[in-house]
Amino acid sequence: MPKLPNLNIGKLSFLLAILVWLALLFVDLVRLFGTINEIDSGIAQEFTWILEILFFLTVYWFYNYSISRNTQNDFLNLIWRAASTGIFASGSMILIDLFYQVLGDSKLGQEPFLKNFFYHIHFALVTAFLISASILWKNLILYQRSKKVVKQWQTFEFAQLLAMFFIFFNQNTFDYSFIFGMVLLSGLGLILSANLKWIPYLTFKEKWKSLLFLFLILLSTGFLFIQTFSYSSQQQTYPVNLMDNLFLIILFVFVFVYALFSFLVTLFNLPTSSVFEQKLTEAINFQRLSQSIKPEESEEQVLDILVDSCMSASYADGAWLELQHESSHTEISNLRFLEQDTLEELRKVINSHKQVTEWESEEKPENLGLLAIRLAHPKFESALIAPLVVNKEIIGKMILCKEVKEGFNKEMTNIISTFVRQACIAVENHRLLNQAIQNERYQEELKIAQRVQKSLLPTRLDHNKAFEITAYSNAADEVGGDYYDTYQLDEDRFVLVMGDVSGKGTSAAFHMSQMKGIFQSLIQLGLSPGEFMIQANSALSRCLEKNHFITASIFIINTKEQTICHSRAGHLPTLLHHHLSGKAEFLMPDGLGLGILRNMQYENHVEEMTFSYQSGDILVLYTDGIVEAKNQNSQQFGTGLIQSIVEAHSQLSPKEIQLKLIDSLHEFVGGDGMIDDDYSLMVVKFT
Amino acid sequence: MLSIEVLQDQNHSILLLEGEIDASNSIQLDESIRSLADNGAQSILVDGSKLEYISSAGLGVFMSYLEDFQENGISLKIYSLTPRVLEVFKILGLDQLISIFPDKTTALRED
Repeated sequence: MPKLPNLNIGKLSFLLAILVWLALLFVDLVRLFGTINEIDSGIAQEFTWILEILFFLTVYWFYNYSISRNTQNDFLNLIWRAASTGIFASGSMILIDLFYQVLGDSKLGQEPFLKNFFYHIHFALVTAFLISASILWKNLILYQRSKKVVKQWQTFEFAQLLAMFFIFFNQNTFDYSFIFGMVLLSGLGLILSANLKWIPYLTFKEKWKSLLFLFLILLSTGFLFIQTFSYSSQQQTYPVNLMDNLFLIILFVFVFVYALFSFLVTLFNLPTSSVFEQKLTEAINFQRLSQSIKPEESEEQVLDILVDSCMSASYADGAWLELQHESSHTEISNLRFLEQDTLEELRKVINSHKQVTEWESEEKPENLGLLAIRLAHPKFESALIAPLVVNKEIIGKMILCKEVKEGFNKEMTNIISTFVRQACIAVENHRLLNQAIQNERYQEELKIAQRVQKSLLPTRLDHNKAFEITAYSNAADEVGGDYYDTYQLDEDRFVLVMGDVSGKGTSAAFHMSQMKGIFQSLIQLGLSPGEFMIQANSALSRCLEKNHFITASIFIINTKEQTICHSRAGHLPTLLHHHLSGKAEFLMPDGLGLGILRNMQYENHVEEMTFSYQSGDILVLYTDGIVEAKNQNSQQFGTGLIQSIVEAHSQLSPKEIQLKLIDSLHEFVGGDGMIDDDYSLMVVKFT
Repeated sequence: MLSIEVLQDQNHSILLLEGEIDASNSIQLDESIRSLADNGAQSILVDGSKLEYISSAGLGVFMSYLEDFQENGISLKIYSLTPRVLEVFKILGLDQLISIFPDKTTALRED
C-alpha cells in the first residue's frame, strides 16, 4: 500500500490544478494551430469545457483547504488575503498589457499563440482570484452561522456547481437562459451578502484597514472584469471562449457585491464603532468584577476595578470613593484625576447639596438608588453618587464627576448601577468567604479544646472490691462545664466528686479546668468534705468571673467502716437508694454554691453529713442537664423520674442503671430533641 | 422567652419577670437590674409569680449583685416564686443570701 495519508492535500490540489491548466492550454493551442492552418484538429469544444470545469474544481479544492486551515476568524487577515490575490492578478495583467504596448505592432505582438497563452494566464488568475475571494466571503458570511444561513450557502454552492455545467446546455452563447441563470444566482448571492455580522467586532482601526482592503478588492474585481470583456470582443484569436462561463460571471457579481456591501456597511459603522467597543469593555469589566471574589483578592482590588469600570462607562473626568469605617471615620480612596484641593472643594459642594443631604437621610440602604446632581463648581458641573451597600449596610459611596452639565444619561446610570451592585456582591461574598474560613479555624480550635477537655475527665475510676462505679459526661457544645473525678486516699478511703460550672460552652470549660486543678491539689491534704468546700470556695472565689459559680458534691467513702461523709455545695441532691427498704431518698445537707459568697462567711453555709451504707445501696450523682432536660411539651425530666428508674432497676449493675437512665432521658426528650445543657452522671453500687 | 416589666410602687422598683431565664437571655435580666441600680433605686422587688424556669446563668445574675447591693445599701427581695423555681434557689443555697418571700405583702412588711 502506498502511503496515502501522508499526502499533503494542499500541495496535491495545487499540482492537479496546474496540470489541468497545462492540459487546457495544450488542447486550446492545438485547436488554434488547427484553425490557423485550416485543419480540423478533431478536438470537440466539450473537451475544453470539461478541462475548464476540472480546473475550477481543483482550484476550489485547493483554496477551500488552505483557507480553512490557515485562518481562524481573523477577519482582517481574510480580507487581506482576498485583496492581495486581487492585486497580484491585476498587477500581472497590467504587466502583460505593458509588455504588449512595448511590443507595439511587431510580429511578436501579433503572435496568436503567445496571445492565447496570455489569455489562459488571465483566465487562471481571474479564476484563482474569484474562487479564493468567494471562499473567504464564505468564512465571513458563516461567522455567526445559523441553520438558515448554512442552508442558503449550501444552495448557493450547489447552484454554482450547476452553473459550471450550464455551458453544455447553452453551448456558450449569450441567450435568455444565460440571463435567467445569472439573475437567479445573483439574487441568491445578494441574499447571502446581507450577512455582515463580523463587521461590528472590528475595532475602529481595523475598520479603516478593512475599508482599504475592500476598496482594493473592488478595484481589482472591476479591472479584471473590464479586461475579461476586452478579451471576449477579440473572439477570432481565441477559438474557445473560456470567460463567458456562467460560473465565473456569477462569481464576479458575488465577489463584487459582497465587497461593496461590506465596504459600505463598514463605512457607515465607523461612527458607531466606539459605542460597540464601549459595550464590549463594559461586558469585560463586568466579568472582571464577578471574578474578583476569590479569597486571595482583596476588597481594594474589587473597588479599584469598580471605579475604573464606572469611569470608562460614563466618560467621567474624576472620581473617588468615600468608605465609612467604624467610629464614623471616612476614608477617601481610589482618587482619580483630581487634585487634593479640588477634591476638598468638591466634597464641600456635594456635602452641602440639598439633594445629597436628603438622599443620605434615607433609612433603608437597600432602597437607596443612584443620585445625579448639578454642581456649583467652576470646573465640574455634574456629579453622580452611588451608594455601596453590603449586607444591607452602607459601607461607603462612589462619586463620579464630569466637566459638563447633565453628564450622566440613563444608560450610564443603569450600567453604573449594575457595576456597583456587582461590586458590592463581590465584596459581600469576599467577606462571607473570609468569615467562613475564620469559622472553620475556630471549629478546629474547638475540636482541640474538646480533646483536651476529654482528657481532664478520668479514664479510670478509683474503687476497690467494696463498690462498683461508673460515670458518663456529655457536653451540649464542643466543650462543657461538667466535671467528675475520683481519688483514693488510702486503702479503704475513696473520694468522689461531681461539679457543674454555671453556664455552658467555652467559659464554663475554662472554669471546669480550674476546678480540676483545685480539686486535685486540695484532695491530697486529707480534708473533711466540709473543710474541702470551704477551701475550694476560697480558691475559686479568686479566679471565677463575677456572675459565675460552681456547684459541687463530695463524698468520702470509708469501705472498712462502711460509712460515707458528704458535703454539698449548691449541687443537686444526690440520690441514695436503700437496698433493704427498696426506697430512695435525696441527700440534701445545707450548702451554698462555690463562688457565691466570696468571703469567710461561707463557713456558715456548708454542712457535713455522715451516714452508713449497706451492701446493695446505690448512689446516683448527676448534674442539672439531666433534671432540666425538656420534652416536646416543655416538661422537665425532673428528679422524680430518676428516682423511679433507679427504684425499678436497683438489681442491675451500675453500668446498666446508667444506661437505663441515659436511654430514658433520650426517650423523654424525643427523637430529634436536643439536650441543650451539659449533663453528667455517676452511679455507685456497694457490694 | 423572657419579658421583664418594671413597675414603680412608691419607693420600690418592681421587676415583673415572665417566662424563662436561661443563658441566652440572662443578660436581659442583668441589664434591667443594672439600670435600676444606676438610676438610684434603693429597694428592688422581684415578682417571680410568672417565672417558670431559671437556669444557673440566671441565678448567676442575682448572685453577682449580692456584694454590690450590700455595700451600697440597696435591698433586693424576691417574692411569689413558684415552688419549682424556689427549689432551684434552695438547692443552690441562695435562699440563705437573698430575702425570698411568699408574697408581696410579706415582702413589704419586712423592712
